[in-house]
Amino acid sequence: MAKFEKVDVVIVGAGASGSVYAAVLSKTGKKVVVLEQGPDWKLSDLISSDFWGRRIKHGGAPFVLEGRNPVSYGYQSGWGVGGAALHYFANFPRLLPNDFKVKSEAGRGLDWPIDYKDVAPYYDKVARDVGVSGDAKAEEIWRPAGAPYPMPPMKTFRNGDIWLKGFEAVGIRMAPAAVGMNSTAYKGRPACIYDGWCHVGCPTGALSNPLVTYLGDARAAGVEVRPWSTATRVLTNGNGTRVTGVEYYDQKKEKQFQPASVVVLAAWAAQNPRILLNSANGAHRKGLSNRSGLVGKYMTTHFASGTWAIFDEDVQNHMGTTGAQYMSYDRYGKTSHKGAFGSTFIVAGSALKTSDLGGFANARLDLFGAELHAFMKRAARGLTRINAFGEEMPNVENRVELAADKDEFGMPLGRIVHSYDEDVARVWNANFEEGLKIANAAGAKESWSGRGNIPTIHLMGGTIMGKGGGDSVVNSYGQSHELPNLFVAGPGIFPTSGASNPTYTIFALSLRGAERLAGKWKAIVG
Amino acid sequence: MHEMKRRDFIRGATLGALAFTVGGAPILLTAREARAQGVPFRLLKAGEAETLEALGETLVPGARAAGISHFIDQQLSVPPEEALLEARILNVKPPYANFYRAAIAAIDRASQAREGRRFAQLNTLEQRELVDLMRQGKLDGWQGPPGPFIYFVTRSDAVDVVYGTVEGYESLGIPYMPHIAPERRW
Repeated sequence: MAKFEKVDVVIVGAGASGSVYAAVLSKTGKKVVVLEQGPDWKLSDLISSDFWGRRIKHGGAPFVLEGRNPVSYGYQSGWGVGGAALHYFANFPRLLPNDFKVKSEAGRGLDWPIDYKDVAPYYDKVARDVGVSGDAKAEEIWRPAGAPYPMPPMKTFRNGDIWLKGFEAVGIRMAPAAVGMNSTAYKGRPACIYDGWCHVGCPTGALSNPLVTYLGDARAAGVEVRPWSTATRVLTNGNGTRVTGVEYYDQKKEKQFQPASVVVLAAWAAQNPRILLNSANGAHRKGLSNRSGLVGKYMTTHFASGTWAIFDEDVQNHMGTTGAQYMSYDRYGKTSHKGAFGSTFIVAGSALKTSDLGGFANARLDLFGAELHAFMKRAARGLTRINAFGEEMPNVENRVELAADKDEFGMPLGRIVHSYDEDVARVWNANFEEGLKIANAAGAKESWSGRGNIPTIHLMGGTIMGKGGGDSVVNSYGQSHELPNLFVAGPGIFPTSGASNPTYTIFALSLRGAERLAGKWKAIVG
Repeated sequence: MHEMKRRDFIRGATLGALAFTVGGAPILLTAREARAQGVPFRLLKAGEAETLEALGETLVPGARAAGISHFIDQQLSVPPEEALLEARILNVKPPYANFYRAAIAAIDRASQAREGRRFAQLNTLEQRELVDLMRQGKLDGWQGPPGPFIYFVTRSDAVDVVYGTVEGYESLGIPYMPHIAPERRW
């Protein structure tokens, strides 16, 4: 084992949240080391191909996936520097005020210990930091006013525009989608060229992945990133009052220990609880920060009702961005659909490619052989899709726990158990019904619902924030209720999921937590 | 291999073509080229590769010539964290060879039970009927990974090799428009 010098901060995970902490803390002069389980990707590694794009998805120890609706871990997760934010679509919708008080306002789910107004300034800061394109004024029909976005909305294409008539017919207002992409050159990064390869990683720098935003800033400020470093435990002092650093295995599979004044776990919603549970010791027999017994609990995902349509014209579906051109919160009220509970966030206009999970071929999974080829030919000209993302209410039974099997380092595998409730099915079905109405009103020649199993998209919860250690794992800054120099970052700290894509909120909460840590450094470090 | 040459080789591989072994020496080829040149399989047995080709061709016309068995075989031979297979993102537990072998065996067992011959020996109509039943999980006495899941994974592989390449895009009349082009038109 090498003898590493104690640093101010060791961060586990070089994705969206870890990158923010690294950037903020390094700029205040802190010595920061980031441990990343996978490889150290560069922009030039991001080849425009669905095959090669799979290299930047999960490659570590597998999770055991159970429940009626197993989590789609492999597709959602990241692998290597940049994390899942290296292949995210960069849709940047916010959570809305009604997401923060679901329990007190509707008697369902959980409350956040903070309100929209606590996060809103950080949405604005992140927009300036990474570059967001959109029309903030247009969003004010759904949310409180904030700062304008630094760039105008992105260009739209026929595959998005063609839906507008349908949305109008059913009374759904659409606004330009807020996206973490450059509609114009921004901070030395070029404008998007709309080639539709966002989902396999954007090598141009037009999309705000961590390599060209916070992690780039962090490296410029001297942060050391150690790829191929798999964290297994966070260690504490003898009486268990403070964490002392992170145990990990390096590329040679040798055990190492990085001592630090502060530990930030930013290894995504499932891996963070796995590490906390595996870090159990004499003073923390159930795992770190787990007095409440809630480490790993309240895992949530999003689901989507995709409506496909073929129009009798060339909709140029190979053009645009993988994310959205238009968005709407008009079904975001928790009871928007009669007899169902949960928000819906709607998007339209997405570049499509031929293969992979979101490609043409999977629009009609029932087809194969000559029928599939005939469909592919028609799809190439006229296929397009809208998506309605739904909110799952937190359920304590949806959880991450340690399995009996172990990985190559002797660490128990994580098991994710996840099942949807009946409300999810109701919202999912209601959104399909409405989607078909929209498609018909838009003049689609053919339209159909992308059914199958209810999908699991994104991953949140597992280390939820709350007011105290009795009913949550961390406070609103991500700081452990029990170990003041342990922070948890990322979507795991969301008590409820809303229906919005999570990464904008991940950035915002991480910025809020990192600034708090920097501002209260002496009090926290002691 | 000399370290510098090895790095160059890996870089070439990551840009597009796959590393196959011909006459004991590594060479970069597309799966289509590897099949056309009769490159030996690394892991799959001849019978397994034959079943996989027949299945791929049933799922997506052109998958056989596109080298579906060579693609999958080569990918099964690399570390799981380097694999380009759809299985990787569909939560198939590594090593992925276990899944493919079990899937191939299940299909051939079902074919033997139903038609008295291995899948590759069926005529195209029989192959299509069997795949359609497997897709729907309607094959009696099925043993192995769930039929609908095998259909999904192997159909994705066949779609990859036929439509996921530059040639595939051309066949559909779609511009490929890469930011970073895959080498050798992958």
